[in-house]
Amino acid sequence: MHIPDGILPAQVCAAGYAITGVATWYSLRQINRKPDPAAEIPKASLLTAAFFVASSIYIPVPPASVHLILNGLLGVVLGYFAFPAILIGLFFQALVIGHGGITTLGINAAMMGIPALLAYHIFQSRNAVGKMLKEPTRTGVFSFLGGALGLGIAALIFLALIIFNIPAELNAGAEQAAVLTLSVGHIPLAIIEGIFTTMLVLFLRRVKPELLEG
Amino acid sequence: MGAANLDTYVHRESVIHRWSPRLKLVSLVALMFAFAMVRQLTLVPWMLALAATLYGLSGLPVSFLRQRLSYPGLFILSLVVVLPLTVGDTVLGQWGWLTLRQEGLQATLLIVGRFLSILTLGFILLGTTPFLTLLNAMRSLGLPTILADMTLLSYRYLFEIATMLATMQQAMRLRGFGQRRQRWLRINGQVMQQLAMLAGNLLIRSYEQSDRVYRAMRLRGYGYGGKIVVGQSAAAQPSTLSWMLAAAVLTAAVSLVIAEGLLRL
Repeated sequence: MHIPDGILPAQVCAAGYAITGVATWYSLRQINRKPDPAAEIPKASLLTAAFFVASSIYIPVPPASVHLILNGLLGVVLGYFAFPAILIGLFFQALVIGHGGITTLGINAAMMGIPALLAYHIFQSRNAVGKMLKEPTRTGVFSFLGGALGLGIAALIFLALIIFNIPAELNAGAEQAAVLTLSVGHIPLAIIEGIFTTMLVLFLRRVKPELLEG
Repeated sequence: MGAANLDTYVHRESVIHRWSPRLKLVSLVALMFAFAMVRQLTLVPWMLALAATLYGLSGLPVSFLRQRLSYPGLFILSLVVVLPLTVGDTVLGQWGWLTLRQEGLQATLLIVGRFLSILTLGFILLGTTPFLTLLNAMRSLGLPTILADMTLLSYRYLFEIATMLATMQQAMRLRGFGQRRQRWLRINGQVMQQLAMLAGNLLIRSYEQSDRVYRAMRLRGYGYGGKIVVGQSAAAQPSTLSWMLAAAVLTAAVSLVIAEGLLRL
């Protein structure tokens, strides 16, 4: 779910870089407010590399398989480090395997990073909003929401960008129908991503709870 | 991960290899954006010719480009293959239910042309500049320290963690994982749980390793105001050749933008 070079007009690419610039500035500002930001950098960096590697894990659905994006999980685990982590991960992907692109790096980072920050806030709100739920159900529900919405919103942005920017000759009705059809098609993927995030977060909660402190 | 050969051709000798990393980065990215602005089909051959000329000057083998283009090329083909058959009103030909439409074909040629040109420039940049030098160039152009340090550390441990995952996956397979036949279009909950634990273990191992890395970095003075400097310095004074190349590429970028504006009128 990366937009490659050459698909989007330069204005959209530039707007993507502007949004990513603001989101990165905001994330770095929040990171610098932490008591010891330098101590967090090696952790965030190695986890960034681990997420990049873990995104190569496929869920088998015979005869095919489902590729996970993990941006919601990134938000849940890394907090404000999620946006720089996604930016770096996408930069590596563009350079190493040519997945995504240099001109579309900004728009891809915004598309995946902003839902990741949203997933972080959803997960962090579990203690304030989900008081009526007992543990570990509360953590499970909010991690599912974080994982599913992280991918769901990113998929919606991706589809809207692709469909509204490629063929200028498509009429508005056809565009709306295409967005709707493809969005519905992504619902099962968002559910799979949500379930995987829940399983992983509940595992981390049992084994290494400090990883979920954000 | 196919990344081991990232720096295979960076030590060759060519004008593009000798180009100052900072000027190369700024010029090539500017040209990429100029390419992204092109919407007139008549400019596509010019764009491709510019990219091919720079690639020729870089002395990189064609096999490098072919190998690197294959994966993203397949991805973009899957995205644009339906355009000539579905978009537009002008019919160029019809074979049964298949209809080739002019507007869709033009959109495909434009997208593929831009894609090939921009990617070629990206591979020139990557193929002629060591990754760490590129990172230093980005840092000297104002990349925030946190981002630069994170990129550097992630890159340092990326291949190590990938090897760790491969070892863990092999251990799982040796213990029988993936041997049981699954029903079509069904997700096996147990398999998913095992994969989630695999990813979780990878995160925990990386997290624990990061603690050791941080302690080692602290002992060497990290966090006391000094910057991590690795690879070739990007701050060296650019040569006349570097400035000339940058001027030529930036002129080409501006010319493309002007031509695009004039053709649109």
